[in-house]
Amino acid sequence: MQINDSSGSTDSGLLGALRPGRLRDHYLFRNLRSSLRLYLSDRLTVVFLAGFVLVLLAAVFGPMIAPYPPDKVFITSSGEILKLAHPSGEHLLGTTARGQDVFSRLLIGARPTLFTGLLGGFLVVLIGVTIGVSAGYYGGRVDDVLMRLTDFVFGIPLIPTAIVLAAYFGVGTWSTILVIGCLLWRNNARVFRSQVLQIREREHVRAAQMLGASDRYVITRHILPNLGGMIVLFFALGTGLTIIISASLSFLGFADLSLPSWGLMLRNAYNSGYMASAWWWSLTSGFAISLTVLCIFMLGRGYERVHETNVSEF
Amino acid sequence: MSQLYYYARRTVVSILLIFAIATFLFFAFRFMPGDYATLLLQQGASPEQVAKVRQMWGLDQPLYVQYFKWLSNMAQGNAGMSRQFNEPVLEVVLPALRNSLIVALPGVLVAFVLGSLYGALMGSRPNSLLEKYGIIPPNIVGTTPDFFIGILLLTVFSAWLGWFPSGSIASVDTLTSTSGWGIYLTSDFWYHYTLPFLTVVIKYMYYPTLVMRGSVVEVRNQEFATYQRLLGLGKWRRFRHIMKHASLPVVTVLPAVTATSISGLVLIEIVFNWPGIGQLLLTSVFARDTPVIQFMFLLIAAWIVIGNFIVDIAYTIIDPRITIEGE
Repeated sequence: MQINDSSGSTDSGLLGALRPGRLRDHYLFRNLRSSLRLYLSDRLTVVFLAGFVLVLLAAVFGPMIAPYPPDKVFITSSGEILKLAHPSGEHLLGTTARGQDVFSRLLIGARPTLFTGLLGGFLVVLIGVTIGVSAGYYGGRVDDVLMRLTDFVFGIPLIPTAIVLAAYFGVGTWSTILVIGCLLWRNNARVFRSQVLQIREREHVRAAQMLGASDRYVITRHILPNLGGMIVLFFALGTGLTIIISASLSFLGFADLSLPSWGLMLRNAYNSGYMASAWWWSLTSGFAISLTVLCIFMLGRGYERVHETNVSEF
Repeated sequence: MSQLYYYARRTVVSILLIFAIATFLFFAFRFMPGDYATLLLQQGASPEQVAKVRQMWGLDQPLYVQYFKWLSNMAQGNAGMSRQFNEPVLEVVLPALRNSLIVALPGVLVAFVLGSLYGALMGSRPNSLLEKYGIIPPNIVGTTPDFFIGILLLTVFSAWLGWFPSGSIASVDTLTSTSGWGIYLTSDFWYHYTLPFLTVVIKYMYYPTLVMRGSVVEVRNQEFATYQRLLGLGKWRRFRHIMKHASLPVVTVLPAVTATSISGLVLIEIVFNWPGIGQLLLTSVFARDTPVIQFMFLLIAAWIVIGNFIVDIAYTIIDPRITIEGE
């Protein structure tokens, strides 16, 4: 991929691309365009992309487009709280045991859920890539130490640890994300390492090293671009897993109870005792989590497929 | 020789790893804010009483003394006393562990068998609708939080259809009339067992399905498969051959998945009110029952390390071509 950009001048990186005339022809953008075309050629991917965009829209505009304020308690004409109303034109997904509109709460819940997931996914990939690439590229003692660390982290059971930490140190959104991020990277660090072990033997890497390129240059220009597909895939997986795990923690009550995420919604429905009768309340939030994670996973897989095709074309 | 050296090294590393985790757990829990004694204090005990409790548990001694005492106790199979039940930790944890394993192990095994079969079926039908779209159901299951699968099953089979009970391990009558292992022999137990078991099966089918599908796709393009087709071997015979060759990756991940399943079971146990280690963990956390939590973590961690160890060894046995690290 780098070969395309053979101008060889010092400003051939992203900075050079910022010059207006060259922006369109920069290899990154050319790649992006053709990748996108390839990406969207698969009909299933388009479906999942649409689903994800829908969730994204709900996360960004949710509070604005929600039909009612999420905490508003509805009262019937006879003066009682409108508890567990069936779905109707007025309340698309009925009401909760407290008489709140489920659909509005579902829309509002998209933001904290997605935000937690994306941030967790970012953290997971950041740590995983750093550790995996360092171990694979430098080898030797660095590799040994980092891989034993990974082994060690593999021995830490994720959900129990998160429960204990939340119980002893108190709960908060940030700490939950931090705990998840600091444990989940173990899944991808090993994969990144083994990839780097292969990539660093390639001729273009060897050539760059022989020409005296610094480690930083080789890693950022020759190693990381070749990990692109995998980074996106693991970002997607990390995001999805973070959403699932933080929903699990919310369900157990180890979450910021003021943040109306979908996991918390599920907990409220389960604890209310009306789980079975008020399916529009308990099942919708669960399916919202499930389908969101599905879309994210499948988009990641789709991207990996495109990336592989791209690479093999060269 | 080198193979033996590798096994020996791997064994030593695993044991050291468990030891390191145990030590880490010991100190980590000592540095956690708030132990059982402070909880007593919050509940209105006088400082003198708390000091007495601390002395009784040996919490007033220096950390390194506590550590070596704990080490020597562990070496003798004494994991300490549970604070909340006032019983030896082992007697608290083991029955719960038994209840968890009886769901987790058969559940994961059945999931692997069914998942591999489905995955193989998908992989062995090139260009069929099944190959293209059959992957969606396992993916949906794989991206659903496990406790939500449980909630779904409870809603449908317990609340709507009324076929199964809504939780717990057995009815009160059975619980009072049996003790120890006897409970597993009652039909009432198995009646309660069905839904949690199904949840585990559904949850863990995802992984073997994906792995098997990929593996079968790879194997069916190998020469022996073509050769067998040319020979005119029956469809079923060929399928069996392909299954045999393709199952290696699935078999090798089985120990690791079994190992992690035990911690993934926490949520399922909560949903079904199942008295396993997940529930015990939660009550212990709320009671700040450190010895119990610490021991459970050690068990889970040791389980995972041993699982990974088995995988590494299995790899070298199944495929001797795998290069052994450090050579």
